[in-house]
Amino acid sequence: MSSISNSLYNIEHLDDLARKETFVHKLHPLVKLIVTLAFLTMVASFGRYEIERLLPLFLYPVIIITLAELPIAPIFKRLLIVEPFIIGIGILNPFFEKKTFVLAGLTLSTGWITFLSIFIKSGLTVASVLLLVATTGMDRLAAALRMLRIPRLFVLQLLLTYRYISVLMEEAERMLRAYALRSPLQKGIHISDWGSFAGQLVLRTFDRAQRVYRAMCVRGFTGEYNTGEHIKFKMADILYLVGWLLFFVVTRMYNIPMLIGTLFTGVIK
Amino acid sequence: MSHHKLEVKNLSFTYPDGHKAINEMSFIIHHGESVGIVGENGAGKSTLLLLLMGVLFPSQGEVMVGDVHVTKKTLPLIRQRLGMVFQDPDDQLFMTTVYDDVAFGPRNYRLDEKEVENRVMQSLDMVGISHLKDRAPYKLSGGEKRAAAIATVLSMQPDVLIMDEPTSSLDPKSRRRVMELLKGFEHTKIITSHDLDMVFEICKRTIVIKAGKIAADGLTSEILADEELMDACGLEVPLALQSCPVCGSKKKNI
Repeated sequence: MSSISNSLYNIEHLDDLARKETFVHKLHPLVKLIVTLAFLTMVASFGRYEIERLLPLFLYPVIIITLAELPIAPIFKRLLIVEPFIIGIGILNPFFEKKTFVLAGLTLSTGWITFLSIFIKSGLTVASVLLLVATTGMDRLAAALRMLRIPRLFVLQLLLTYRYISVLMEEAERMLRAYALRSPLQKGIHISDWGSFAGQLVLRTFDRAQRVYRAMCVRGFTGEYNTGEHIKFKMADILYLVGWLLFFVVTRMYNIPMLIGTLFTGVIK
Repeated sequence: MSHHKLEVKNLSFTYPDGHKAINEMSFIIHHGESVGIVGENGAGKSTLLLLLMGVLFPSQGEVMVGDVHVTKKTLPLIRQRLGMVFQDPDDQLFMTTVYDDVAFGPRNYRLDEKEVENRVMQSLDMVGISHLKDRAPYKLSGGEKRAAAIATVLSMQPDVLIMDEPTSSLDPKSRRRVMELLKGFEHTKIITSHDLDMVFEICKRTIVIKAGKIAADGLTSEILADEELMDACGLEVPLALQSCPVCGSKKKNI
């Protein structure tokens, strides 16, 4: 029961974060969206053995978190939620890949490298998207998607799904509470009640969703979601965009960790 | 002013499951009137409101706002004129801040952002919660939510305010505040409620509904004091009109 209200609070927490007014929050949503997309492409573009080349990209989340004054714990927690899936995808690599390499006297399957690469890549991509939501907010993000000429229907779908998640969870929480209070001797929901519970939840959510939708229609909602902001591009937006794109291009073209390495070893020689 | 009147002619509505919720209802509400619509649970009050707003469409008869029929085509116009406050403010407040929520309606009518801001601030001032504008609606108290829900409708500057149970689940002080607020509005008001004392104080006219039909329509002071009628319609005479529970003396100001 508490876990549902916790996750409800968590979802809303991202919205709260998005309301801050730091340098990053004030940037044009479209710019942030483009930078995030560029970052995602960049992370995906590196081969599966090139983990060292991914390292400079860690700067991106670190810098955004610092500039946007975001708390690390909530972002990190959300990252952990996806990790089991990632591990599920990559864990068999060490067993299937035949090639080996030697590290500190141990002969290991190259599968460990690809596993690590999947791990890092997923961490980076999920973090960047979380940061995008936490610094932009769903409404403005939707506005940015509209600017990219993504069809209205898709954007609306995204926004309303996001909005209705909390509606669904609120209903579920109420039902769970009512259930738990009248069944003090058991934990969770008895299997014989699952059917009616799930059915009730669907019906109630339909009902609730319909009431919310009516309330929207009555206030003139016709399918277009207006956030009201017509933010203009500022110099800071352009600098932010160009700066990050430049950084991405440089990390793509040059192997920065290697360069730094040779620089140091060169100095020592 | 004739264009502000709200007319219901011979209205009937049957739900898809065959339940006839509204049965040949007719009435006219004039500009500036405040009308209470009362009746027992399931009498058809909420259905009536949804029909007035054009959320549902009648199976027979018609609703006219001024000289305009409520049809799919005229909905944008109708909904600008009629503002409805829902019973559960949580249904009405869905944006991430109170400000955005109050701005939702005006923005849908493509008003200039300056004008939207004016209207939002004005509406929030009217209900006395301008200090809450940046808060998230789900974090407000019941009374504040209700005030915010009313503000979301005021910002559309409607001629007619339609309210479904505006005082339900409020504590006595919050209830009083909402009532004072409603008294202060010069809009035409249509209020459905089981809070008959509130109806008695705010509405001059009352329409009593029973099983989808109008059982009585007239001065509130006469209708709500009619013990027989109230009893027949599943209601009670308002507490303010009942004898004192301690000394048993009759109220004088009936």
